[in-house]
Amino acid sequence: MIPLRKPADYAPILMPLIVVAIWALAAASTSSPLFPGPAKVAQAIWHNFSTIMVQLGATLTRVVIGFAVAAAITVPLGIMLGRLRIIGQLFEPVMDMLATLPPPAIVPLVMLFAGTGDAAKITMIAFAAAIPLLMNTYEASKTQNEMANLVARSLRLSRFETMLRVDLPAALPMIATGVRMAVAAALLVSVTSEILLATDGIGVFLQRQQENFQIAGGLAGIFFISLTGLVVNTLILAFEKRWLFWHYRAQEDAK
Amino acid sequence: MNDTTILEAVDLRKAYGHGLQRMPILDGIDFRVRKGDFVSVVGPSGCGKTTLLMALAGLSQPDTGEVRFRGQPVTQPPQGLAVVFQDYSRSLFPWKTARENVIFAMRDTAQKTRQERRDRADELLAAVGLKEFAQKYPWQLSGGMQQRVAIARGLASESDLLLLDEPLAAVDAQTRADMQDLILELAQRFDQTCLLVTHDVDEAVYMADKVIVLSRRPTSVATEIPVDLGKRRDQLATREQPGFLHARHEVMERIRSYRSQMAG
Ligand SMILES: Nc1ncnc2c1ncn2[C@@H]1O[C@H](COP(=O)(O)OP(=O)(O)O)[C@@H](O)[C@H]1O
Ligand SMILES: [Mg+2]
Repeated sequence: MIPLRKPADYAPILMPLIVVAIWALAAASTSSPLFPGPAKVAQAIWHNFSTIMVQLGATLTRVVIGFAVAAAITVPLGIMLGRLRIIGQLFEPVMDMLATLPPPAIVPLVMLFAGTGDAAKITMIAFAAAIPLLMNTYEASKTQNEMANLVARSLRLSRFETMLRVDLPAALPMIATGVRMAVAAALLVSVTSEILLATDGIGVFLQRQQENFQIAGGLAGIFFISLTGLVVNTLILAFEKRWLFWHYRAQEDAK
Repeated sequence: MNDTTILEAVDLRKAYGHGLQRMPILDGIDFRVRKGDFVSVVGPSGCGKTTLLMALAGLSQPDTGEVRFRGQPVTQPPQGLAVVFQDYSRSLFPWKTARENVIFAMRDTAQKTRQERRDRADELLAAVGLKEFAQKYPWQLSGGMQQRVAIARGLASESDLLLLDEPLAAVDAQTRADMQDLILELAQRFDQTCLLVTHDVDEAVYMADKVIVLSRRPTSVATEIPVDLGKRRDQLATREQPGFLHARHEVMERIRSYRSQMAG
Protein backbone atom coordinates (compact mmCIF):
# COMPACT_ATOMS: atom_id res chain seq x y z
CA MET A 1 0.00 0.00 0.00
CA ILE A 2 1.29 3.46 -0.85
CA PRO A 3 1.07 5.83 2.14
CA LEU A 4 -0.66 9.15 1.56
CA ARG A 5 1.84 11.92 1.10
CA LYS A 6 1.82 15.51 2.22
CA PRO A 7 2.54 18.16 -0.44
CA ALA A 8 5.78 18.96 1.38
CA ASP A 9 7.05 15.48 0.54
CA TYR A 10 7.02 16.36 -3.14
CA ALA A 11 9.10 19.50 -2.73
CA PRO A 12 12.52 17.86 -3.20
CA ILE A 13 11.31 16.26 -6.45
CA LEU A 14 9.41 19.29 -7.66
CA MET A 15 12.28 21.74 -7.58
CA PRO A 16 14.62 19.77 -9.88
CA LEU A 17 11.69 19.18 -12.25
CA ILE A 18 11.06 22.91 -12.48
CA VAL A 19 14.74 23.58 -13.09
CA VAL A 20 14.87 20.96 -15.83
CA ALA A 21 11.74 22.40 -17.41
CA ILE A 22 13.14 25.93 -17.48
CA TRP A 23 16.42 24.58 -18.80
CA ALA A 24 14.61 22.72 -21.59
CA LEU A 25 12.65 25.82 -22.56
CA ALA A 26 15.74 28.00 -22.55
CA ALA A 27 17.72 25.53 -24.63
CA ALA A 28 14.89 25.15 -27.12
CA SER A 29 14.58 28.91 -27.55
CA THR A 30 18.29 29.45 -28.30
CA SER A 31 18.85 26.17 -30.20
CA SER A 32 22.63 26.74 -30.11
CA PRO A 33 24.88 23.63 -30.09
CA LEU A 34 26.77 25.26 -27.25
CA PHE A 35 23.68 25.21 -25.05
CA PRO A 36 22.32 21.66 -25.07
CA GLY A 37 18.97 20.88 -23.49
CA PRO A 38 18.20 18.06 -21.07
CA ALA A 39 17.37 15.68 -23.91
CA LYS A 40 20.79 16.19 -25.48
CA VAL A 41 22.50 15.62 -22.16
CA ALA A 42 20.45 12.46 -21.59
CA GLN A 43 21.57 11.30 -24.99
CA ALA A 44 25.17 12.08 -24.15
CA ILE A 45 24.86 10.11 -20.95
CA TRP A 46 23.51 7.19 -22.95
CA HIS A 47 26.33 7.32 -25.48
CA ASN A 48 29.15 7.87 -23.05
CA PHE A 49 27.88 5.77 -20.22
CA SER A 50 30.57 3.08 -20.32
CA THR A 51 33.37 5.61 -20.85
CA ILE A 52 32.11 7.72 -17.98
CA MET A 53 31.90 4.69 -15.71
CA VAL A 54 35.44 3.58 -16.52
CA GLN A 55 36.82 7.09 -16.01
CA LEU A 56 34.82 7.65 -12.88
CA GLY A 57 36.08 4.31 -11.62
CA ALA A 58 39.67 5.44 -12.13
CA THR A 59 38.94 8.67 -10.30
CA LEU A 60 37.18 7.02 -7.39
CA THR A 61 39.89 4.41 -7.00
CA ARG A 62 42.40 7.17 -6.45
CA VAL A 63 40.00 9.03 -4.14
CA VAL A 64 39.55 5.92 -2.01
CA ILE A 65 43.28 5.19 -1.84
CA GLY A 66 44.18 8.81 -1.15
CA PHE A 67 41.53 9.11 1.51
CA ALA A 68 42.53 5.84 3.16
CA VAL A 69 46.19 6.88 3.25
CA ALA A 70 45.23 10.23 4.75
CA ALA A 71 42.96 8.67 7.38
CA ALA A 72 45.50 6.01 8.35
CA ILE A 73 48.09 8.70 9.02
CA THR A 74 46.08 11.63 10.36
CA VAL A 75 43.63 9.94 12.73
CA PRO A 76 46.31 8.37 14.95
CA LEU A 77 48.50 11.46 14.50
CA GLY A 78 45.66 13.80 15.46
CA ILE A 79 44.83 11.77 18.54
CA MET A 80 48.49 11.72 19.53
CA LEU A 81 48.96 15.46 19.03
CA GLY A 82 45.83 16.18 21.04
CA ARG A 83 47.16 14.00 23.82
CA LEU A 84 50.65 15.42 23.95
CA ARG A 85 49.71 19.00 24.65
CA ILE A 86 53.09 20.61 24.09
CA ILE A 87 53.81 18.96 20.75
CA GLY A 88 50.24 19.69 19.68
CA GLN A 89 50.67 23.37 20.44
CA LEU A 90 53.90 23.39 18.47
CA PHE A 91 52.12 21.98 15.45
CA GLU A 92 49.00 24.12 15.71
CA PRO A 93 50.34 27.08 13.66
CA VAL A 94 51.61 24.68 11.00
CA MET A 95 48.20 23.04 10.78
CA ASP A 96 46.49 26.43 10.57
CA MET A 97 48.79 27.44 7.73
CA LEU A 98 48.24 24.23 5.81
CA ALA A 99 44.49 24.51 6.34
CA THR A 100 44.35 27.77 4.39
CA LEU A 101 46.53 26.49 1.54
CA PRO A 102 44.47 25.61 -1.56
CA PRO A 103 45.47 22.00 -2.35
CA PRO A 104 46.12 22.67 -6.09
CA ALA A 105 48.89 25.03 -5.00
CA ILE A 106 51.03 22.05 -4.11
CA VAL A 107 50.75 20.54 -7.61
CA PRO A 108 54.14 21.78 -8.87
CA LEU A 109 55.86 20.52 -5.74
CA VAL A 110 54.16 17.15 -5.94
CA MET A 111 55.04 16.85 -9.64
CA LEU A 112 58.65 17.48 -8.78
CA PHE A 113 58.76 14.54 -6.41
CA ALA A 114 56.05 12.22 -7.62
CA GLY A 115 55.77 13.01 -11.32
CA THR A 116 52.40 13.19 -12.99
CA GLY A 117 51.13 9.65 -12.59
CA ASP A 118 48.79 8.00 -10.14
CA ALA A 119 51.20 8.51 -7.27
CA ALA A 120 51.15 12.28 -7.75
CA LYS A 121 47.36 12.43 -7.87
CA ILE A 122 46.97 10.18 -4.88
CA THR A 123 49.45 12.32 -2.98
CA MET A 124 47.41 15.44 -3.72
CA ILE A 125 44.16 13.77 -2.76
CA ALA A 126 45.68 12.46 0.45
CA PHE A 127 47.01 15.93 1.23
CA ALA A 128 43.65 17.56 0.65
CA ALA A 129 41.84 14.99 2.79
CA ALA A 130 44.50 14.99 5.47
CA ILE A 131 44.03 18.61 6.53
CA PRO A 132 40.39 18.51 7.68
CA LEU A 133 40.87 15.02 9.10
CA LEU A 134 43.91 16.06 11.10
CA MET A 135 42.37 19.31 12.35
CA ASN A 136 39.18 17.67 13.51
CA THR A 137 40.79 14.64 15.11
CA TYR A 138 43.25 16.89 16.86
CA GLU A 139 40.51 19.17 18.21
CA ALA A 140 38.43 16.19 19.30
CA SER A 141 41.35 14.57 21.06
CA LYS A 142 42.37 17.83 22.70
CA THR A 143 38.93 18.54 24.12
CA GLN A 144 38.74 15.19 25.85
CA ASN A 145 36.19 14.68 28.54
CA GLU A 146 38.05 14.74 31.81
CA MET A 147 35.19 13.14 33.68
CA ALA A 148 35.01 10.20 31.29
CA ASN A 149 38.73 9.66 31.75
CA LEU A 150 38.38 9.63 35.52
CA VAL A 151 35.68 6.99 35.18
CA ALA A 152 37.94 4.92 32.94
CA ARG A 153 40.81 5.22 35.37
CA SER A 154 38.73 4.34 38.39
CA LEU A 155 37.58 1.24 36.51
CA ARG A 156 41.23 0.46 35.94
CA LEU A 157 41.22 0.57 32.17
CA SER A 158 44.66 0.67 30.56
CA ARG A 159 45.72 3.72 28.55
CA PHE A 160 45.12 1.85 25.34
CA GLU A 161 41.70 0.60 26.39
CA THR A 162 40.75 4.11 27.47
CA MET A 163 41.72 5.45 24.07
CA LEU A 164 39.77 2.76 22.27
CA ARG A 165 36.65 2.57 24.43
CA VAL A 166 36.33 6.11 25.78
CA ASP A 167 38.36 8.65 23.83
CA LEU A 168 37.60 7.27 20.39
CA PRO A 169 33.80 7.11 20.74
CA ALA A 170 33.82 10.55 22.36
CA ALA A 171 35.85 11.90 19.44
CA LEU A 172 33.85 10.21 16.68
CA PRO A 173 31.30 12.99 16.07
CA MET A 174 34.07 15.47 15.41
CA ILE A 175 36.07 13.00 13.35
CA ALA A 176 32.92 12.41 11.29
CA THR A 177 32.75 16.13 10.56
CA GLY A 178 36.35 15.88 9.41
CA VAL A 179 35.49 12.90 7.23
CA ARG A 180 32.69 14.78 5.53
CA MET A 181 34.96 17.72 4.77
CA ALA A 182 37.78 15.40 3.71
CA VAL A 183 35.59 13.48 1.26
CA ALA A 184 34.45 16.72 -0.35
CA ALA A 185 38.04 17.93 -0.59
CA ALA A 186 39.26 14.60 -1.98
CA LEU A 187 36.63 14.61 -4.74
CA LEU A 188 37.41 18.19 -5.64
CA VAL A 189 41.14 17.67 -5.78
CA SER A 190 40.93 14.41 -7.69
CA VAL A 191 38.99 16.04 -10.52
CA THR A 192 41.22 19.11 -10.46
CA SER A 193 44.39 17.04 -10.49
CA GLU A 194 43.14 15.07 -13.48
CA ILE A 195 42.48 18.22 -15.40
CA LEU A 196 45.97 19.47 -14.58
CA LEU A 197 47.86 16.19 -14.98
CA ALA A 198 45.77 14.46 -17.59
CA THR A 199 45.97 10.70 -18.15
CA ASP A 200 42.67 9.18 -17.15
CA GLY A 201 39.74 9.79 -14.82
CA ILE A 202 36.51 11.72 -15.01
CA GLY A 203 38.37 15.03 -15.01
CA VAL A 204 40.15 13.98 -18.20
CA PHE A 205 36.84 12.96 -19.68
CA LEU A 206 35.46 16.40 -18.89
CA GLN A 207 38.40 18.08 -20.51
CA ARG A 208 38.22 15.96 -23.67
CA GLN A 209 34.54 16.77 -24.04
CA GLN A 210 35.23 20.43 -23.58
CA GLU A 211 38.11 20.42 -26.06
CA ASN A 212 35.81 18.88 -28.65
CA PHE A 213 33.00 21.28 -27.85
CA GLN A 214 30.89 18.39 -26.61
CA ILE A 215 29.08 20.47 -24.04
CA ALA A 216 26.37 17.86 -23.56
CA GLY A 217 29.02 15.22 -22.90
CA GLY A 218 30.70 17.52 -20.39
CA LEU A 219 27.42 18.05 -18.61
CA ALA A 220 26.88 14.31 -18.57
CA GLY A 221 30.21 13.93 -16.78
CA ILE A 222 29.32 16.65 -14.32
CA PHE A 223 26.02 14.94 -13.68
CA PHE A 224 27.82 11.79 -12.57
CA ILE A 225 30.28 13.68 -10.40
CA SER A 226 27.39 15.33 -8.55
CA LEU A 227 25.67 11.99 -8.30
CA THR A 228 28.80 10.52 -6.72
CA GLY A 229 28.94 13.34 -4.20
CA LEU A 230 25.29 12.78 -3.37
CA VAL A 231 25.76 9.04 -2.88
CA VAL A 232 28.83 9.53 -0.69
CA ASN A 233 27.05 12.12 1.42
CA THR A 234 24.06 9.87 1.85
CA LEU A 235 26.35 7.06 2.96
CA ILE A 236 28.05 9.28 5.51
CA LEU A 237 24.72 10.51 6.83
CA ALA A 238 23.49 6.93 7.15
CA PHE A 239 26.64 6.05 9.04
CA GLU A 240 26.17 9.00 11.39
CA LYS A 241 22.54 8.11 11.98
CA ARG A 242 23.50 4.58 12.83
CA TRP A 243 26.58 5.24 14.98
CA LEU A 244 26.43 8.81 16.16
CA PHE A 245 22.74 9.36 16.82
CA TRP A 246 23.55 9.62 20.53
CA HIS A 247 25.59 12.73 19.86
CA TYR A 248 22.94 14.57 17.90
CA ARG A 249 20.10 13.44 20.14
CA ALA A 250 21.97 14.36 23.29
CA GLN A 251 22.66 17.80 21.81
CA GLU A 252 19.01 18.25 20.90
CA ASP A 253 17.91 17.23 24.39
CA ALA A 254 20.35 19.63 25.98
CA LYS A 255 18.65 22.55 24.22
CA MET B 1 46.42 -1.60 62.29
CA ASN B 2 43.09 -3.01 63.28
CA ASP B 3 42.08 -5.79 60.83
CA THR B 4 38.58 -4.48 60.43
CA THR B 5 39.98 -1.24 59.03
CA ILE B 6 39.35 -1.15 55.29
CA LEU B 7 40.43 2.39 54.48
CA GLU B 8 42.86 4.65 56.21
CA ALA B 9 43.92 8.23 55.51
CA VAL B 10 47.23 9.20 57.08
CA ASP B 11 48.15 12.87 57.22
CA LEU B 12 46.92 13.68 53.72
CA ARG B 13 48.04 17.05 52.44
CA LYS B 14 47.38 18.61 49.11
CA ALA B 15 47.71 22.09 47.63
CA TYR B 16 46.70 23.42 44.24
CA GLY B 17 48.76 25.92 42.29
CA HIS B 18 52.35 26.99 42.63
CA GLY B 19 54.29 29.88 44.09
CA LEU B 20 52.12 32.80 45.15
CA GLN B 21 49.08 31.07 43.77
CA ARG B 22 49.64 28.01 45.92
CA MET B 23 46.52 27.23 47.88
CA PRO B 24 46.65 24.51 50.50
CA ILE B 25 43.40 22.53 50.46
CA LEU B 26 43.97 19.41 52.53
CA ASP B 27 46.02 20.09 55.61
CA GLY B 28 46.64 16.80 57.34
CA ILE B 29 43.61 14.54 57.07
CA ASP B 30 43.57 11.46 59.29
CA PHE B 31 40.78 8.95 59.72
CA ARG B 32 39.84 5.31 59.41
CA VAL B 33 36.89 3.52 57.96
CA ARG B 34 35.93 0.15 59.42
CA LYS B 35 34.64 -2.59 57.17
CA GLY B 36 30.87 -2.61 57.04
CA ASP B 37 30.49 0.94 58.30
CA PHE B 38 28.67 3.75 56.62
CA VAL B 39 30.79 6.85 57.11
CA SER B 40 29.76 10.40 56.21
CA VAL B 41 32.26 13.14 55.56
CA VAL B 42 30.66 16.52 56.03
CA GLY B 43 32.14 19.87 55.15
CA PRO B 44 31.11 23.11 53.43
CA SER B 45 31.27 23.53 49.65
CA GLY B 46 34.76 24.19 48.41
CA CYS B 47 36.49 22.81 51.50
CA GLY B 48 38.12 20.03 49.48
CA LYS B 49 35.73 17.09 49.77
CA THR B 50 36.12 16.09 46.14
CA THR B 51 39.86 16.60 46.38
CA LEU B 52 39.91 14.26 49.36
CA LEU B 53 37.77 11.67 47.62
CA MET B 54 40.00 11.68 44.54
CA ALA B 55 43.00 11.00 46.74
CA LEU B 56 41.17 8.21 48.58
CA ALA B 57 40.21 6.64 45.24
CA GLY B 58 43.77 6.71 43.94
CA LEU B 59 42.75 9.11 41.19
CA SER B 60 45.08 11.84 42.38
CA GLN B 61 48.18 11.76 44.49
CA PRO B 62 48.34 13.71 47.73
CA ASP B 63 51.42 15.91 48.15
CA THR B 64 52.31 14.05 51.32
CA GLY B 65 50.65 11.44 53.44
CA GLU B 66 49.20 8.12 52.45
CA VAL B 67 45.97 6.37 51.73
CA ARG B 68 45.81 2.70 52.67
CA PHE B 69 43.16 0.41 51.32
CA ARG B 70 43.06 -2.98 53.02
CA GLY B 71 46.45 -2.12 54.44
CA GLN B 72 48.05 -1.48 51.06
CA PRO B 73 49.23 2.00 50.05
CA VAL B 74 47.04 3.43 47.31
CA THR B 75 48.91 4.83 44.32
CA GLN B 76 46.52 3.75 41.56
CA PRO B 77 42.78 3.12 41.70
CA PRO B 78 42.73 -0.20 43.55
CA GLN B 79 40.52 -3.14 42.77
CA GLY B 80 37.65 -3.41 45.20
CA LEU B 81 37.00 0.30 45.43
CA ALA B 82 34.32 2.04 43.38
CA VAL B 83 33.50 5.71 42.97
CA VAL B 84 30.21 7.46 42.26
CA PHE B 85 31.23 10.87 41.00
CA GLN B 86 29.64 14.17 41.91
CA ASP B 87 29.26 15.13 38.27
CA TYR B 88 27.20 12.06 37.48
CA SER B 89 25.63 13.31 34.26
CA ARG B 90 29.04 13.61 32.66
CA SER B 91 30.31 10.43 34.26
CA LEU B 92 27.90 8.33 32.17
CA PHE B 93 28.82 7.64 28.56
CA PRO B 94 26.21 9.10 26.22
CA TRP B 95 26.90 6.49 23.55
CA LYS B 96 25.99 3.68 25.89
CA THR B 97 22.56 2.70 27.20
CA ALA B 98 21.96 2.52 30.95
CA ARG B 99 22.60 -1.21 30.78
CA GLU B 100 25.79 -0.84 28.76
CA ASN B 101 27.03 1.84 31.15
CA VAL B 102 26.54 -0.56 34.05
CA ILE B 103 28.17 -3.44 32.18
CA PHE B 104 31.17 -1.21 31.50
CA ALA B 105 32.13 -1.54 35.17
CA MET B 106 32.19 -5.35 35.07
CA ARG B 107 35.77 -5.85 34.09
CA ASP B 108 37.25 -7.82 36.92
CA THR B 109 34.02 -9.37 38.10
CA ALA B 110 32.62 -12.88 38.25
CA GLN B 111 30.27 -12.33 35.31
CA LYS B 112 32.16 -13.35 32.21
CA THR B 113 29.65 -14.10 29.49
CA ARG B 114 27.59 -11.49 27.75
CA GLN B 115 24.39 -12.97 29.13
CA GLU B 116 25.67 -13.07 32.71
CA ARG B 117 26.68 -9.43 32.51
CA ARG B 118 23.39 -8.44 31.03
CA ASP B 119 21.46 -10.24 33.73
CA ARG B 120 23.60 -8.73 36.44
CA ALA B 121 23.20 -5.22 34.99
CA ASP B 122 19.43 -5.67 34.81
CA GLU B 123 19.39 -6.90 38.38
CA LEU B 124 21.30 -3.84 39.54
CA LEU B 125 19.13 -1.49 37.50
CA ALA B 126 16.06 -3.13 39.03
CA ALA B 127 17.62 -2.62 42.47
CA VAL B 128 17.84 1.13 41.82
CA GLY B 129 14.30 1.17 40.42
CA LEU B 130 15.22 1.47 36.75
CA LYS B 131 14.12 -1.90 35.50
CA GLU B 132 12.23 -0.43 32.56
CA PHE B 133 15.01 1.95 31.59
CA ALA B 134 17.84 -0.46 30.79
CA GLN B 135 17.69 0.35 27.09
CA LYS B 136 17.49 4.11 27.53
CA TYR B 137 20.41 6.40 26.96
CA PRO B 138 21.57 8.69 29.78
CA TRP B 139 20.33 11.78 27.94
CA GLN B 140 16.85 10.27 27.89
CA LEU B 141 16.80 10.06 31.68
CA SER B 142 16.19 12.66 34.37
CA GLY B 143 19.03 13.79 36.64
CA GLY B 144 17.89 11.57 39.49
CA MET B 145 17.67 8.58 37.18
CA GLN B 146 21.13 9.24 35.81
CA GLN B 147 22.43 9.32 39.35
CA ARG B 148 20.83 5.95 40.02
CA VAL B 149 22.47 4.51 36.90
CA ALA B 150 25.79 5.83 38.23
CA ILE B 151 25.10 4.12 41.57
CA ALA B 152 24.21 0.87 39.81
CA ARG B 153 27.49 1.12 37.93
CA GLY B 154 29.28 1.71 41.23
CA LEU B 155 27.80 -1.51 42.55
CA ALA B 156 28.55 -3.42 39.35
CA SER B 157 32.28 -3.58 39.92
CA GLU B 158 31.63 -5.78 42.97
CA SER B 159 33.83 -3.70 45.17
CA ASP B 160 33.85 -3.68 48.95
CA LEU B 161 34.14 0.05 49.37
CA LEU B 162 31.93 2.58 47.66
CA LEU B 163 32.92 6.25 47.65
CA LEU B 164 29.98 8.56 46.98
CA ASP B 165 30.67 12.21 46.20
CA GLU B 166 27.62 14.33 47.09
CA PRO B 167 25.32 11.98 45.21
CA LEU B 168 22.18 13.80 46.26
CA ALA B 169 23.26 17.41 46.02
CA ALA B 170 21.25 18.06 42.88
CA VAL B 171 17.93 16.31 43.56
CA ASP B 172 14.74 17.66 45.11
CA ALA B 173 13.85 17.07 48.76
CA GLN B 174 11.43 14.18 48.33
CA THR B 175 13.67 12.33 45.87
CA ARG B 176 16.51 13.02 48.22
CA ALA B 177 14.87 11.25 51.15
CA ASP B 178 13.97 8.29 48.93
CA MET B 179 17.49 8.11 47.57
CA GLN B 180 19.00 8.22 51.05
CA ASP B 181 16.98 5.16 51.99
CA LEU B 182 17.78 3.50 48.69
CA ILE B 183 21.52 3.97 49.20
CA LEU B 184 21.30 2.62 52.76
CA GLU B 185 19.35 -0.39 51.55
CA LEU B 186 21.79 -1.06 48.71
CA ALA B 187 24.78 -0.76 51.06
CA GLN B 188 23.24 -3.50 53.21
CA ARG B 189 22.09 -5.70 50.40
CA PHE B 190 25.33 -5.60 48.43
CA ASP B 191 27.52 -5.63 51.50
CA GLN B 192 29.23 -2.34 50.79
CA THR B 193 31.30 -0.26 53.12
CA CYS B 194 30.36 3.29 52.18
CA LEU B 195 32.02 6.65 52.48
CA LEU B 196 29.59 9.40 51.60
CA VAL B 197 30.69 12.97 51.12
CA THR B 198 28.06 15.64 51.70
CA HIS B 199 27.61 19.24 52.78
CA ASP B 200 24.25 18.46 54.41
CA VAL B 201 24.54 17.83 58.16
CA ASP B 202 21.16 16.11 58.53
CA GLU B 203 21.97 13.78 55.67
CA ALA B 204 25.41 13.03 57.08
CA VAL B 205 23.96 12.02 60.44
CA TYR B 206 20.91 10.19 59.06
CA MET B 207 22.97 7.94 56.81
CA ALA B 208 26.02 7.22 58.89
CA ASP B 209 27.47 5.09 61.65
CA LYS B 210 30.14 7.74 61.97
CA VAL B 211 30.35 11.36 60.85
CA ILE B 212 33.70 12.89 60.02
CA VAL B 213 33.46 16.66 60.34
CA LEU B 214 35.92 18.63 58.26
CA SER B 215 37.29 21.97 59.33
CA ARG B 216 37.24 24.96 57.07
CA ARG B 217 40.06 25.38 54.57
CA PRO B 218 42.90 24.44 54.83
CA THR B 219 41.00 21.34 55.74
CA SER B 220 41.67 18.81 58.45
CA VAL B 221 39.39 16.52 60.44
CA ALA B 222 37.73 18.67 63.08
CA THR B 223 36.11 15.79 64.90
CA GLU B 224 34.58 12.37 64.47
CA ILE B 225 31.13 11.78 65.85
CA PRO B 226 29.78 8.24 66.23
CA VAL B 227 26.10 7.76 65.48
CA ASP B 228 24.70 4.82 67.42
CA LEU B 229 21.37 4.35 65.76
CA GLY B 230 21.78 0.83 64.37
CA LYS B 231 21.56 -0.07 60.72
CA ARG B 232 17.83 0.38 60.27
CA ARG B 233 16.89 3.99 59.67
CA ASP B 234 13.56 5.61 59.14
CA GLN B 235 12.99 9.07 57.73
CA LEU B 236 10.54 9.97 60.51
CA ALA B 237 11.46 7.89 63.54
CA THR B 238 15.23 8.11 63.22
CA ARG B 239 15.22 11.86 62.88
CA GLU B 240 13.31 12.16 66.15
CA GLN B 241 15.52 9.86 68.19
CA PRO B 242 17.66 11.44 70.93
CA GLY B 243 20.77 9.82 69.46
CA PHE B 244 20.12 11.49 66.12
CA LEU B 245 19.41 14.87 67.65
CA HIS B 246 22.45 14.63 69.87
CA ALA B 247 24.82 13.74 67.03
CA ARG B 248 23.31 16.42 64.84
CA HIS B 249 23.74 18.96 67.61
CA GLU B 250 27.39 18.08 68.03
CA VAL B 251 28.12 18.33 64.32
CA MET B 252 26.31 21.65 64.05
CA GLU B 253 28.07 23.05 67.06
CA ARG B 254 31.42 22.12 65.66
CA ILE B 255 30.65 23.71 62.32
CA ARG B 256 29.27 26.83 64.04
CA SER B 257 32.46 27.27 65.97
CA TYR B 258 34.25 27.57 62.62
CA ARG B 259 31.71 30.06 61.39
CA SER B 260 32.10 32.31 64.40
CA GLN B 261 35.86 32.06 64.02
CA MET B 262 35.49 33.22 60.47
CA ALA B 263 33.23 36.08 61.41
CA GLY B 264 35.56 37.08 64.25
N1 LIG C 1 42.31 21.04 39.74
C1 LIG C 1 42.24 22.11 40.56
N2 LIG C 1 43.11 23.12 40.43
C2 LIG C 1 43.05 24.20 41.24
N3 LIG C 1 42.15 24.36 42.21
C3 LIG C 1 41.24 23.40 42.40
C4 LIG C 1 41.23 22.22 41.57
N4 LIG C 1 40.21 21.43 41.98
C5 LIG C 1 39.63 22.07 43.00
N5 LIG C 1 40.23 23.25 43.25
C6 LIG C 1 39.90 24.19 44.32
O1 LIG C 1 40.06 23.52 45.53
C7 LIG C 1 39.01 23.81 46.41
C8 LIG C 1 38.33 22.55 46.88
O2 LIG C 1 37.65 21.95 45.78
P1 LIG C 1 36.77 20.66 45.94
O3 LIG C 1 37.62 19.55 46.44
O4 LIG C 1 36.08 20.42 44.66
O5 LIG C 1 35.74 21.09 47.07
P2 LIG C 1 34.34 20.46 47.48
O6 LIG C 1 34.19 19.15 46.78
O7 LIG C 1 34.39 20.33 48.96
O8 LIG C 1 33.28 21.43 47.06
C9 LIG C 1 38.07 24.75 45.69
O9 LIG C 1 38.35 26.07 46.13
C10 LIG C 1 38.44 24.58 44.25
O10 LIG C 1 38.26 25.79 43.55
MG1 LIG D 1 32.82 18.42 45.46
